[in-house]
Amino acid sequence: MFQHTALRYTALILLAVGAFTQAVTAGYFGLEILTEILLLAMLVLALDMVAGFGGMVSLCHGALMGVGAYAYAILTTKAGIAPPVALGGAIAITGAAAWVIGAIGARSHGIYFIMATLAFGQMAYSYVFEAPFFGGDDGMGGIPRIDLSLLGIDLNDSRSFALFCLVLLGATYGAAVLILRSGLGRSLTGVMHNEQRMRALGLTVWRVKADVFGLSGMIAGFAGALSAQHVMYISPGLLGWTVSGEALVVVILGGLGTLVGPMIGAAAFVILKHEVSNVTSYWHLVVGVLLIAVVMSRANGIFGWIEARWGARLERRLSDLTRKTDAEEITTDA
Amino acid sequence: MLETRNLDKSFGAVHVTRNVSLKLERGERRVILGPNGAGKTTLFNLLVGELTPNSGSVLLAGEDVTALPVAKRARRGLSRSYQKNTLFDGLTVEENLGLAAAIHTGAGTRLWGDSLATPEVREIVAEVAEQVRLMPYLHAKVSEVSYGVRRQFEVGVALATRPLVLLMDEPTSGVGPEMAKGFHDLLNDLPRDLTLLIIEHDMDLAFDVADTITVLNYGEVVFDGLPEEARGSTLLKEIYLGSWEDA
Ligand SMILES: Nc1ncnc2c1ncn2[C@@H]1O[C@H](COP(=O)(O)OP(=O)(O)OP(=O)(O)O)[C@@H](O)[C@H]1O
Ligand SMILES: [Mg+2]
Repeated sequence: MFQHTALRYTALILLAVGAFTQAVTAGYFGLEILTEILLLAMLVLALDMVAGFGGMVSLCHGALMGVGAYAYAILTTKAGIAPPVALGGAIAITGAAAWVIGAIGARSHGIYFIMATLAFGQMAYSYVFEAPFFGGDDGMGGIPRIDLSLLGIDLNDSRSFALFCLVLLGATYGAAVLILRSGLGRSLTGVMHNEQRMRALGLTVWRVKADVFGLSGMIAGFAGALSAQHVMYISPGLLGWTVSGEALVVVILGGLGTLVGPMIGAAAFVILKHEVSNVTSYWHLVVGVLLIAVVMSRANGIFGWIEARWGARLERRLSDLTRKTDAEEITTDA
Repeated sequence: MLETRNLDKSFGAVHVTRNVSLKLERGERRVILGPNGAGKTTLFNLLVGELTPNSGSVLLAGEDVTALPVAKRARRGLSRSYQKNTLFDGLTVEENLGLAAAIHTGAGTRLWGDSLATPEVREIVAEVAEQVRLMPYLHAKVSEVSYGVRRQFEVGVALATRPLVLLMDEPTSGVGPEMAKGFHDLLNDLPRDLTLLIIEHDMDLAFDVADTITVLNYGEVVFDGLPEEARGSTLLKEIYLGSWEDA
């Protein structure tokens, strides 16, 4: 069940401050990397919601992100729909697609669920790849960014766009927390702990799974539509299973079921990718070694490791502090 | 309130439930006795829909529910506890009860608002905690409370859906005689209009709570009657002295 702890708040604040500083100070290349991190963070947030809190390990979240990107691209460039409306449309379309995948996959578990989602993702990929309407292999270009000039913001400027994504990531995080703390989210966690029991208590389990998977899909679609605006060009590769696989690696690397962890994982992953690929083209190897180290350490990812080491200590410090202030108040009262 | 008609179930060549017909009136407290492997748990699984019978039917409040899935039967007021604890480990006692109560109130599938914070859910959690004497443990994690308390709690979770009929599968299995006695006091304090079907191994404890007694042996109902009659029954003694003693 999702809970905010002192450590999680601390990590969130540090992340926000770090990202904001970067957004304000970085040059063009730094801003591109930051935006890449922010959008990946949004995707892994969506994935952690279902994998970490519902046990639904999905290998189609990359494809869902791609669906969001393509939906946005088609609605804006081919249907001529205004970008803000198209953004909403892309989110709705991806959410609906995810809901159907969740409803169909709800009856399978573990490896079978993973395979089902992989199959759905690959179906979407090959369809987009083959269909001329989607530009096939060549992809689609000329995708417009949302126009915020009314507010005096030019999103074609990479600094403004990075800040825009940062704000939206914050809002998405808030939405994810609200979903996980809602009745629906809590029931999903109950299902992850003991599906049979939840059913025996009267819960329509598949509906809960499908609903949360749909909501998670909306977030993935949101990330996709933003990423289409970011690069302004999309290709079928976006829907390929490697994107889904990377997202899963990031979630595990960061800390499954913590929300904050996967966002840290996203930052670590993208930075590592760029830093290491400067030195050697074998950067996947380095990520692989790191992943093995994290899995072997049996900690729940980077953030899980931090929580196990410092979580309790920080909590104790804070409760000592509050007790001290309470005591002071009492003495002043007397 | 709860009725079965000629229920039959086989696993391959093993005939586990044989032509079982039972009828529980509203508020009736019936204890099911029977040696290990008699098919008691299987009967529960058939009643709640976790297993489908080969033939026969299950009626809840006069309606045939044989074709209804588990969750729908539960929402019509049929709740069960399990022989082995099936709690949500890692969550607190309060959260466990809250999850169950929220399914009953409908808050458990709502996107807006924290289900555990709704007044209806809080009220049910407080009431159930009182009923199964879990008040002191509300904020403890399941993993932190003793086995005996967990058995009590297993029933509490089933009660939190405010059922009309509650099935309990050996609620006192594995706890000491003292605790078992306390448990039966607790059962006697439950509302009288709640229909109870209890699987129990210990005969004396069974007589403590039962209005009526059913004895299963090799999947068959071999006795159906009042506790006084059961006490004198030679058939029952035979089963007892046979496979029962080593149970
Ligand atoms: N899913 C199954 N597949 C095959 N055989 C089963 C299955 N479930 C139960 N059985 C068999 O059916 C018989 C009755 O089992 P059941 O669990 O109903 O007995 P019980 O009366 O609850 O026993 P106990 O007192 O040990 O709990 C046993 O022989 C058991 O091995
Ligand atoms: Mg049994």
